[in-house]
Amino acid sequence: MRRRFGAGFWIATAWISLVVAAAALADLLPIPGYDETLVGPPRSGPSAEHPFGTDGLGRDVFSRVVHGARVSLGVGIGAVVLGLGLGAPLGVLAGYRKGFADAVIMAVNDIALAFPSLVFALAVVAFAGASLRNVLIVLGVLGIPAWVRLIRGATLSFAEREFVLAARVLGVRDRRILWRDIMPNVAVPAASYAFIGMAVVIVAEGSLAFLGLSVQAPTPTWGGLINEGRTLMETAPHVVLAPSIVMFLTVLSFNLVGDRLRALTDVRQSGLEPARQSAPLPAGPGAEPVTGALLQVDDLRTHIHTPRGTVKAVDGVSFTLERGRTLAIVGESGSGKSMLIRTILGLLPAADVSRGGHVRLEGDDLTRFTPEEMRQVLGRRLGTVFQDPMTALNPVRTIGTQVTEPLRVHLGMSRKRAREEAARLLASVGIPDPARTLGRYPHQLSGGMRQRVTIAMALSCGPDVLFADEPTTALDVTIQDQVLRLIHRLREERDMAVVLVSHDLSVVRQWADEVIVMYAGKVVEHGPAEQVFARPRMPYTEALLQAAPRLTDPSHHRLRVIPGRPPDLADVPPGCPFRPRCAYAQDRCGAEAPPLTGDHDHLYACWHPTGSAVAGAPEGAESHGR
Amino acid sequence: MAGSGTAHLRPRDEVLLQVENLYVEFPAGRGRTVRAVSGVSFDLAKGETLGIVGESGCGKSSTARALIQLPRPRAGSVRLDGLDLTSLRGEALRRVRRRLQMIFQDPISSLNPRRRVREIVEEGPKVWGRGALDVDEVLEAVGLDPATAAVRRPHEFSGGQCQRVSIARALVLEPEVVICDEPVSALDVSVQAQILALLEDLKERYRLTLVFIAHDLAVVKNVSDRILVMYLGKTCELAPSEDLIARPAHPYTKALLAAIPGSGLDLPPADRLISGEPPSPVDPPSGCRFRTRCPRAAERCAREEPEIRPVNGGDHYVACHFPDL
Repeated sequence: MRRRFGAGFWIATAWISLVVAAAALADLLPIPGYDETLVGPPRSGPSAEHPFGTDGLGRDVFSRVVHGARVSLGVGIGAVVLGLGLGAPLGVLAGYRKGFADAVIMAVNDIALAFPSLVFALAVVAFAGASLRNVLIVLGVLGIPAWVRLIRGATLSFAEREFVLAARVLGVRDRRILWRDIMPNVAVPAASYAFIGMAVVIVAEGSLAFLGLSVQAPTPTWGGLINEGRTLMETAPHVVLAPSIVMFLTVLSFNLVGDRLRALTDVRQSGLEPARQSAPLPAGPGAEPVTGALLQVDDLRTHIHTPRGTVKAVDGVSFTLERGRTLAIVGESGSGKSMLIRTILGLLPAADVSRGGHVRLEGDDLTRFTPEEMRQVLGRRLGTVFQDPMTALNPVRTIGTQVTEPLRVHLGMSRKRAREEAARLLASVGIPDPARTLGRYPHQLSGGMRQRVTIAMALSCGPDVLFADEPTTALDVTIQDQVLRLIHRLREERDMAVVLVSHDLSVVRQWADEVIVMYAGKVVEHGPAEQVFARPRMPYTEALLQAAPRLTDPSHHRLRVIPGRPPDLADVPPGCPFRPRCAYAQDRCGAEAPPLTGDHDHLYACWHPTGSAVAGAPEGAESHGR
Repeated sequence: MAGSGTAHLRPRDEVLLQVENLYVEFPAGRGRTVRAVSGVSFDLAKGETLGIVGESGCGKSSTARALIQLPRPRAGSVRLDGLDLTSLRGEALRRVRRRLQMIFQDPISSLNPRRRVREIVEEGPKVWGRGALDVDEVLEAVGLDPATAAVRRPHEFSGGQCQRVSIARALVLEPEVVICDEPVSALDVSVQAQILALLEDLKERYRLTLVFIAHDLAVVKNVSDRILVMYLGKTCELAPSEDLIARPAHPYTKALLAAIPGSGLDLPPADRLISGEPPSPVDPPSGCRFRTRCPRAAERCAREEPEIRPVNGGDHYVACHFPDL
């Protein structure tokens, strides 16, 4: 997973390297000694001979800054190594052993963190004498509590991962687990914090030196130089400015490198926002709006530009949907089903995405809407329910505030009316005691109840279409049954259309009227649910149906195994995308992409469609479990 | 469903693994206790696959971890070939653990992201020296290319391939029992079929005994010889797979089956067989723990915990006062 660091990171790294090299090689550089007086006229400004000018005694400021870097960097690196060296083992111990060791270490640590550290540093240095060693030790020891806390946190998060459990099951000894499984993972956050820590220590050392409590003259330090130059501010400001700027740039660089390293370990932000910045793809032969259709999607395409190439996440999808119907979109991970929904809703990452095609809601082309207009449509006419209700709900706000918000914003209800309406909505999605639930927080509800709340929110403004993206995947099967039943009932009551995205064929079989099967960003089969399940024509659909275990099959029944894997969407082979895995593939399949054709309303993209009924498939979805 | 009791256990000398009256509890803060597993018993004959099924919070994963003593159960015994694991400490326990291996649900989280795939599989043999299978042979057996595995790290593999790595890591030490904790729940249907087929092949090839834990009854039925249904830390029903699906005796098993969409079974809608949500394992109901959601619950169910008993003749066991026979 190579991530770009960006130019700033490399400039900062170059600066740090330059300063470190200059400090290390200070004695070898062709510059005057740092305490040689009258190497030039006193207080002269920067010149070719003295790039940073000279100070009040005619000493070369450049030389003094370079030598001063030795102290600043030495203390910076030394204190961090000391803090890390003592703090990391304690942190690992606390995080891995937990229990008693953790309690003791963290109690001591919390006390240490509560200590006024700068006062402590001042007192110790004033008492023990200002020397490089004392400053380094004091600053190092003061850093330990922060290190313990950081390393413990990182260790805890990894110690609970399954790979550590797996190592213990293998009989690996603790020491080896720490060394091979925990340490390499903790090292990345530790390294990033080390850089930020160095910046902190350099500033702290500068402050001590400014107060005269660091290494004593004649050895120059950055803080000391600034202190000395203070009296010359009026006549020779460069004496103060030169060390200040160098120190500023160095601290900035350390912080920047540390931040970038940390970003490396962070989860990438999704950045999903209504956006229109993306360049449109050339429009295909646009179909005319179908009259009477509630939602019409026409040749929709979403191409994401990545360093590996253009990922055709959605590649030419069309369908129409009427009121009172449920359309299911099925496919495996990476088939583009979730991206299709996001494209329809206009929820795409802003950068590096091109989209094409049209989405018409009762004739209005949503692809031409501004983000502001789209926000209006999203609240009022299109409802959404996603897989994880916890991400859809704000954890620090009550259910009441969150359910009433769309009512007040979109429908302009008063607080009191919105609250009454919210209670009514919660009751309609089967939440017991709705009035009390309004005052509760999301974490106080079960997963099934939270999903009911998001459904209530999606329905609050009476949408025309409800988009449910894997609405029950995170739920238990008995709760899944309740939630799907609820969505179905609400569809009937409100005369909505439902777009149900699911990887679960049995859910789709039971609840959808119409099915779209997606593979590699394309629709490969589209038709009435009972037909697609009973008589799939596309070999992929057939294979998928036979790969899913069924309760009616005997135990140890051999499932159909589809060889290989779906294609890389950045590099889809020519012809039919399923060809490399298809049992029926022939020459033509590799040369020419099959169009989506078929008889009547059952469409499939295949040159050699299968005709046989799937053995043992229950006839149709006629039961619908209602 | 407070199914306690051991009527369903077979004689000790006929089984490889015997779990008796297992209790797993965790502190839940403020002096309260999560009663994750409360008195569960089962056994496995050599070469058998036992499926454990139930919804979240039923204690199936806690049971799996208690088998390998991570963490150690609060009470009960886990006997492997007559040797009680709960009585072992330190080095003796470490030695015995290699005979039980585990495969986890999350294929990504169960592999160390900073190590190469081959190193991950080699870890067991490195720790134990001789007595392990050849790493390349196992990698090939699970369908991975040893040359690629030597240079690649887990994030360069798909979820299905990562699960193959986990399986290889578990198998290389030639374990007697492999505990699979939701091994296919995070995978796509087509990949799930690949992994299930692989497990069946490997079971044959290495003569494994499997505990297969999942929430999906169709998946469990596909791989298991017998199925144990759990609810809120208790046993509901234990029966041969075909028998359990064809003739569920416990009301909860029936509801679980009815809730599966498009199951093709002749059952009433699930909302008539089960209502509401599971209670908290911190404060489980008295008597039968399923009674708060059970349409048949009577006064006796609150008072008296049902004992596991044989029904339908043969080896079908149920813990219910009013089973469906």
